[in-house]
Amino acid sequence: MNFNANSGPKQPFGRKIKRVSDVNAMGYNPYTQPQPFPNGQDAAQPQPAFNPQHQPAQEFNQSYTQPNNVPYNNFDTNQYANVPGIGVFAQPMVQNMAMQYTQQLANTGTTMVKKEIERFVPVNRLKYYFAVDTKYVLTKLGLLFFPFTHADWSVKYEQDGPVQPRFEINAPDLYIPTMAYVTYVLVAGLVLGMQQRFSPEQIGIQSSSALAWCLIELGVYNATLYISNIQTSLRTLDLLAYSGYKFVGLIVSILLSIVGGSTAYFCMLGYFSLALAFFLVRSLRAQVLPEISQQEAYYGDNVPSSGNKRRLYFLLFVAAAQPVLSWWLSYHLIRYTPSVTL
Amino acid sequence: MAFTLWNLFEASLLCLNAICILNEERFLVKIGWSAKRAPTGFGENPTAKAQILNLIHSIRTVARIPLILLNIVTILLKLLLG
Repeated sequence: MNFNANSGPKQPFGRKIKRVSDVNAMGYNPYTQPQPFPNGQDAAQPQPAFNPQHQPAQEFNQSYTQPNNVPYNNFDTNQYANVPGIGVFAQPMVQNMAMQYTQQLANTGTTMVKKEIERFVPVNRLKYYFAVDTKYVLTKLGLLFFPFTHADWSVKYEQDGPVQPRFEINAPDLYIPTMAYVTYVLVAGLVLGMQQRFSPEQIGIQSSSALAWCLIELGVYNATLYISNIQTSLRTLDLLAYSGYKFVGLIVSILLSIVGGSTAYFCMLGYFSLALAFFLVRSLRAQVLPEISQQEAYYGDNVPSSGNKRRLYFLLFVAAAQPVLSWWLSYHLIRYTPSVTL
Repeated sequence: MAFTLWNLFEASLLCLNAICILNEERFLVKIGWSAKRAPTGFGENPTAKAQILNLIHSIRTVARIPLILLNIVTILLKLLLG
């Protein structure tokens, strides 16, 4: 079965089917064709204020049970037609206007909701972190496991920010950490099942626990950056991305522990910790440690010389926290696997 | 190792409560942990202790009202769900 959303019947040669996301851009609204409501009111509208008291419930029932079967002309014989004021909704022009008015209301509602959400969750910045493609993901995974031969670690910048991860291999992304986190939860379930310790609640417990530790780690990094007064261009989402890379090694270690027991687990964990520490120090060095350009050195101490030590310590702290956290997140999963004598 | 998001939420709520309880005038000034910026240095390089005290002061100012709501919600949840 083909789950690809774009593959349907083959398109005629030379013609691209336009995808329209906004019905208003089409020039007409397919939904304002006059619907044959039995009592001449829009079913989606709240009942108008001048309705008789006992009738709203019945009208709702009527409009839901007879959606399209009653032809348009029948409402003249409707018993509600002699109620003053309701007849105005029967005319198609008024229906059109009501529909457009509610559409505008809905549009302003969605823009307001989006603006409120933008205050809490930076959606545009999030989109930057997910702008990846296959080549980037594969290269980045290879880099995570073997960063020793990579030469150039600098990140190219555009006018307003770093280049998208799609075009710049050294930029952090959130796609790999998210996928690695989900895979970690699944692998944890798999390993627990192999040890007869699995139940569906375990999925929730494992995922919630890993998420809680990620949040604690982020909180500690932010507090450390604030307290030791380190000026850096690292955003919180960058820190989240860099601390999410450890899940990749985590799942490989856990999977290897199935085959090789604790020995293989610790070997893989040790190697990946080394590689990740190397990767992190090299990647973050450009962003956390200051780059002394020629002009700044001339124009006085713009460069805090005492801050260098603090920045270095912060880098080493981040790099050292990764193996500790990886061990803490996975040790309870491999405790019961028998180690195979090599 | 069932350390879930709910436990994290409870622990952080307790910690924030502890921070917000400390009264500035009656207690912190006596120890010398007041958050009023000492006139030494124009803040080019505020010391770590000053940053921590600043953090505590701002947490107290910002989080007081939401903490009241969070505490009420948590108490109700604990009463109902045990």
